Amino acid sequence: MAVSKAYLKEEREQEWRVEVRKLLKNKERTALPRVKMGEVEARERICSNIEVNKGLSADEAVNEARRCLDCPDPTCISGCPVEINIPKFIKRIEQGDFLKAARVLKETSTLPAVCGRVCPQEKQCEAKCFYQLKLKNEPVAIGYLERFAADYERESGQISVPEVAPANGIKIAVIGSGPAGLTFAGDMAKQGYDVTVFEALHEIGGVLKYGIPEFRLPNSIVDVEIDNLKRMGVKFENNFIVGRTASIEDLKEEGFAGFFTGSGAGLPRFMNIPGENYIGILSSNEYLTRVNLMDAANPDTDTPVISGKQVAVIGGGNTAMDSVRTARRLGAERAMIIYRRSMEEMPARVEEIKHAQEEGIEFLTLTNPVAYFADEKGRVNKVRVQKMELGEPDASGRRRPMPVEGSEYDIDVDTVVVSVGVSPNPLIPSSLPQLETTRWGTIVVDEDKLQTSIPEMFAGGDIVRGGATVILAMGDGRNAAAAMHKYLQDKRNA
Amino acid sequence: MSNLQTTYLGIPIKNPIVVGSSGLSSTIDGIKALAKAGVAAIVLKSVFEEEIKAEAEQTIGQQLGQDDNNLEFYDYYDYQVKNEVLDRYVSLIREAKAAVDIPIIASINCSSYSEWVSFAHKIEEAGADGIELNIFKLPFGVKDEAAAIEKIYFDIVDKVKTSLRIPFGIKLAPYFTNLGNVIHRLSHSGAQGLVLFNRFTSVDYDIENDQVVVGKVYSNADEYVNSLRWISIAAPNAGCDLIASTGIHDYRTLVKMLMAGASSVELVSAIYKEGAEVVGAMLSELEQWMSRRGFQSIADFKGRLSQGEASNPEVFERVQFMRYFSGHKQ
Repeated sequence: MAVSKAYLKEEREQEWRVEVRKLLKNKERTALPRVKMGEVEARERICSNIEVNKGLSADEAVNEARRCLDCPDPTCISGCPVEINIPKFIKRIEQGDFLKAARVLKETSTLPAVCGRVCPQEKQCEAKCFYQLKLKNEPVAIGYLERFAADYERESGQISVPEVAPANGIKIAVIGSGPAGLTFAGDMAKQGYDVTVFEALHEIGGVLKYGIPEFRLPNSIVDVEIDNLKRMGVKFENNFIVGRTASIEDLKEEGFAGFFTGSGAGLPRFMNIPGENYIGILSSNEYLTRVNLMDAANPDTDTPVISGKQVAVIGGGNTAMDSVRTARRLGAERAMIIYRRSMEEMPARVEEIKHAQEEGIEFLTLTNPVAYFADEKGRVNKVRVQKMELGEPDASGRRRPMPVEGSEYDIDVDTVVVSVGVSPNPLIPSSLPQLETTRWGTIVVDEDKLQTSIPEMFAGGDIVRGGATVILAMGDGRNAAAAMHKYLQDKRNA
Repeated sequence: MSNLQTTYLGIPIKNPIVVGSSGLSSTIDGIKALAKAGVAAIVLKSVFEEEIKAEAEQTIGQQLGQDDNNLEFYDYYDYQVKNEVLDRYVSLIREAKAAVDIPIIASINCSSYSEWVSFAHKIEEAGADGIELNIFKLPFGVKDEAAAIEKIYFDIVDKVKTSLRIPFGIKLAPYFTNLGNVIHRLSHSGAQGLVLFNRFTSVDYDIENDQVVVGKVYSNADEYVNSLRWISIAAPNAGCDLIASTGIHDYRTLVKMLMAGASSVELVSAIYKEGAEVVGAMLSELEQWMSRRGFQSIADFKGRLSQGEASNPEVFERVQFMRYFSGHKQ
């Protein structure tokens, strides 16, 4: 769904934009340094769940917005899966009209405050910024500005609710309340559909709530975005497992005409190495969900998580960073990342790695677990690791990790969190035999329409991609909503 | 009726014919057919670590999203593929054990020490009666010393034997600087059997189309001689079962291998070429031969012509055709 160039040009030629551009010469704009986001000191933040990034002040945001050249060909937009009109919202910030900036974000994004915090902008919009592409300079801090505008609107108490078309009476079911489902729900609600989101857990938000810790994305931020959807008329059913509580057929009988599956990838993977079933070894899904959603860090709860003193987290992605930093906050004296490649090959965001390092996390790179050992009660007490070296590049373009024979040694641990990826949630595919899936368990969809082999079912996010960023899942939600709207309209007019 | 009982990896078996690791033993239907034909044990098709890695690489190459946005999903995908492949293999072992009443032997080929142990462990849990370690790396590295290559074999055996309770054997290549020494030491290393020898795919040229092609897939009946020589040499002092493999196509070669000192033989090409019926035919001819020669059991003639027992043991050490090599007749 490419945004039209004519539309962007028309927007750019609006009088207020022209006036803002005239405020500074381009040379003056490019001479401005990129803003640095304030952070809570590491020694302070590891004692609590306080959000690490402080956000920008109004002055910092306006100064950073001045750096944006409002390019005639805004390449940054092509890097955004939901095609936010980036120069437009940034120029609203430069103008000082922060509420209007937030409204621009909401034209295409259901979760701007979330994206401003967790999107890998360095790989998306900011990677396509003119500064980066042509000037080889630091890009405009689009992510910081997005967060600023969204936060400003929320804190101002003047939250705008997107316009909603008159109700058309068509019931739509959304399975899963993660970023794909919420975005789809918002876009369908805008079109006047009667949308109900079914969530298996007791909290709405999917991976945004259970997967991303409070210190990176406070739940209150997600709740505000969900409240906004509620104000648009979207209904939510918690503790409802589609495929168990009710089947798709049951929902059809209740009058649901369209379905969007965004049930995510919540099935943890393990390495299946000897000893992996010992007590004290758990998946990052379990670890983070229990801490983030079930208050398991509190020793007085029914099912507290063990606050290990020597915690090893296996993996090098964002989830591994979230897990190891959570362990640190729960009192780990030694919190380690064990990763089989080097720092350069880690999939985690650079910012997350930096924050982890500041918090005293040890990085045992080029190191891979081969077995676990336990005490007489079956509690893990050691991990045997093997040193690795890098060979030729593999299919991912990264150098392949190769074991160094005879290099094994043991590390004392009392908790191990395995964070080596997840698989798609199997519930929906297994309850619908006619639904076409891949051998990886993902749902097969038409690439443009995101329509599945069951015509009235569309799907997006991790259940289709296997693993994706929040913003890509949101992009799927948007595209699927547009495609389902067309499908239902065509069906009605046929 | 002759007693054909013998052993394979120290496991008692009803006769000396075992099916070697191949496509023949990759499905339950194939396994049932082989058991029905009378084989005494079946070595399942090998599971290769390299194959798993290649499959993972292919998947990652196809599925990796734009800007590596799903890199975290695929970062450890090789483990996922490995687990899937091993799960399928475990199912095959379990189904085979339930379907037939003869020993089922798994076969693995790994490229790293830790995986040998990991694979072997999983296979043992699945209920296999034994494991054949299909160890071989083509020694094409010009900087690799022979001793270092040999050491790999012993290191793998050391690792595996400490974590396994079921018997294991090694399917060996004939390419060692001092083959006699390697066979002898490995036979005393803790393995319960040595299979002599593994037959590898070869390279050939299609000279009409200028293409490199795969050489002859199946062995022929003349290829047994190398195995015969080395089983004969190794048998008198071997610390475990020796199993003959390569070029065994009729009962005569089967008998020769047993007389050399093998406890059993592995058949593959003969079954591919002639069907599973060849097993029954060979066993029947073996019995007739034993009866004709007055042998009651395999033990009566096993090793009878090994180097230690033969009247002219020097023959085993001759490799050059010289004038005084009087044994050869036109």
